[in-house]
Amino acid sequence: MRRAAPLLIGAGLLLPLAAIEPRAWLTLTVAGLAMGMLIFLVASGLTLIFGLMDVLNFAHGALFSWGAYAGFTVAVAVNARWGWAASPSVWANAGLLLLAVAGSVAAAFALGVLLERVIVRPVYGQHLFQILITLGATIVLEELIRVVWGPNDQVMPVPATFQGSWDVADVVVLRFPAIAIALGLAVYAAMQWLLTRTRVGLIVRAGVENTEMVQVMGHDIRRYFTAVFAAGSGLAGLGGLMWGMFSQAIRPSMGGEQLIFAFIVVIIGGLGSVTGSLVGALLVGLAYNYVAFLVPKAAIGVTMGIMVLVLLVRPTGLYGAGR
Amino acid sequence: MSAGVITAVQAARRAARRARGRSPALYLRLALVAAWALLPALQPSYQLLDLALKVALFATLAASYDVVIGYTGIVSFGHAMFFGFGAYAVALAVGRLGAPTYGHLLLGVLAGVAVSGVVAVVIGVFSLRVKALFFAMITLAFAEFALILAVQWGALTGGEDGLSPRMPGVFAAGAAGPLGLPGRVVTYYALLTICLGLFLLMGRFVHSPLGRTLQAIRDNELRAEALGYRTFVFQLVASSFGSVVAAVLGGGYAVWVRYVNPESALGIPIMLDVLLMVIIGGIGTLEGGLVGAAVLLTARTLLPNLRGLGGSLVAGSEILQRLSERWLLYFGILFVLVVFFFPRGVLGTLREVAARRRGGAAPEA
Repeated sequence: MRRAAPLLIGAGLLLPLAAIEPRAWLTLTVAGLAMGMLIFLVASGLTLIFGLMDVLNFAHGALFSWGAYAGFTVAVAVNARWGWAASPSVWANAGLLLLAVAGSVAAAFALGVLLERVIVRPVYGQHLFQILITLGATIVLEELIRVVWGPNDQVMPVPATFQGSWDVADVVVLRFPAIAIALGLAVYAAMQWLLTRTRVGLIVRAGVENTEMVQVMGHDIRRYFTAVFAAGSGLAGLGGLMWGMFSQAIRPSMGGEQLIFAFIVVIIGGLGSVTGSLVGALLVGLAYNYVAFLVPKAAIGVTMGIMVLVLLVRPTGLYGAGR
Repeated sequence: MSAGVITAVQAARRAARRARGRSPALYLRLALVAAWALLPALQPSYQLLDLALKVALFATLAASYDVVIGYTGIVSFGHAMFFGFGAYAVALAVGRLGAPTYGHLLLGVLAGVAVSGVVAVVIGVFSLRVKALFFAMITLAFAEFALILAVQWGALTGGEDGLSPRMPGVFAAGAAGPLGLPGRVVTYYALLTICLGLFLLMGRFVHSPLGRTLQAIRDNELRAEALGYRTFVFQLVASSFGSVVAAVLGGGYAVWVRYVNPESALGIPIMLDVLLMVIIGGIGTLEGGLVGAAVLLTARTLLPNLRGLGGSLVAGSEILQRLSERWLLYFGILFVLVVFFFPRGVLGTLREVAARRRGGAAPEA
């Protein structure tokens, strides 16, 4: 399957060309890649928590929303102080984006540490209780958003430079999605490097395989687990902010909807595989855009269709190790 | 098996049979049934009768979910979807096939059961074969899909507005039943009988040899498989059984409220409610659903009144105002605490205490 995956993606990319004229196809492809990358940002955090650590974290969606709201607060505050969102300067715009990203990641990271320490640690290895307790946490976190920011939708300030689109050879390239693609690739590269090329990644992967043995070797694996959980939460927060900027609006329940997408992507990609999540997210993003163009009514069903197909052919997902 | 030697199962059955007449549980159950049966004689307010029947319906729904989650140990998030299938099937059959008759009603229930059964088997074949863990996510995805379908396919389902079909005969609004009883009361008894019947059926199901095998699989799947049980088939049967029961209850719900919309019959909130009921009452207790449903639905009926009170107490600050409005927040906190400190729920904890007092071992689920 590993070798077949690029072929699969190639086929998935080129087949719609038969039905769509090339220029529209290019636009759709760029939009699909961007959507896939946005989904990947959420799913990558879930890959760490659900795929690697085997924790069924239903609070991931709430962390996504919290990241979006924290980033929103930072962005609004910065904009009110210095007016960086409306300013024509690219640097001011980028500064706003960076500060908002930092705010959302920090908030979600802190919440992740809290969640792991308080409610997830006692239920490692017990799936049913993980589901129940993270569901309870989801309810609490979502309600807290409604308490702090109010129950209504909020308009996300988007820096002026990242609005609108570039026109590259008659192909409309939306600016913000282009940023999202770059960011998604950077996150993917960083995760791959961290997990497979560093000592920390080695210890984490070993700890998932055999916790006691790693502890015997003198590593405090619980601290590593807290860090991994918090890192996954931070990624959820980042995903929330990017999604909020992409759709230019945020609401308390936005996390729940994305959570299902993220779970589907992780299942398609295979548990614990970062590459699998990336491929799964891109597949879902592309397929959604092609189908929405060709048969608008069927677009909602296409992610489910892909998941069912993948599970039929390969029950452990595209890149799953089959444990 | 030679005579004189009794197996562990036979011994347990004999002990249960001996304890039957003496245990207070039996009389408590009969008293509960009597209370529900005699309620209409007191001529209660519309609201109270409504609450009583909804508690009965949701207690049975929670019990059917308990069959899946508590006795079989597979976590499904699609249970409310099957409830919704039943509700929509009845609403569609009664409302869209011309003048409503009892035949249409029966057809609706049967259609709901058939659709639920088929969908449950299909989902199960996909996801149970792989890993019981996937079941949670895949059922969640299917439930979401069903919800979107109900909202989008407005021509059939009425979209967000839902359907409000006219029920046939005594089930119709304001109809008069036989013996001078109001139609509402006849409907009450009919649905109560269905709930009771389903409860007995589920009790029989979980205490049958099949049910025991399911509990064995829940406790140690690998061992059950090693003993020669095809765990996949057993899990499939249990989840399909629970789903079909949920579909029947959905039909009953549609008959009682005469209104079906995506939010009230299919949504994730309903699923969460049922999950909360099972957890509060006690997972793996079947009757615990009654405790959970009673607590949750009563709280939901009474809390809006309390909310006005809380709002007037903290009129000053906006944040405090919002804190008093979000009762779901406190519910979430309570839920987490219950899961942490009473993982066996109200009924499970009570049974544990009772068993310890008798000096016996912990009760089996």
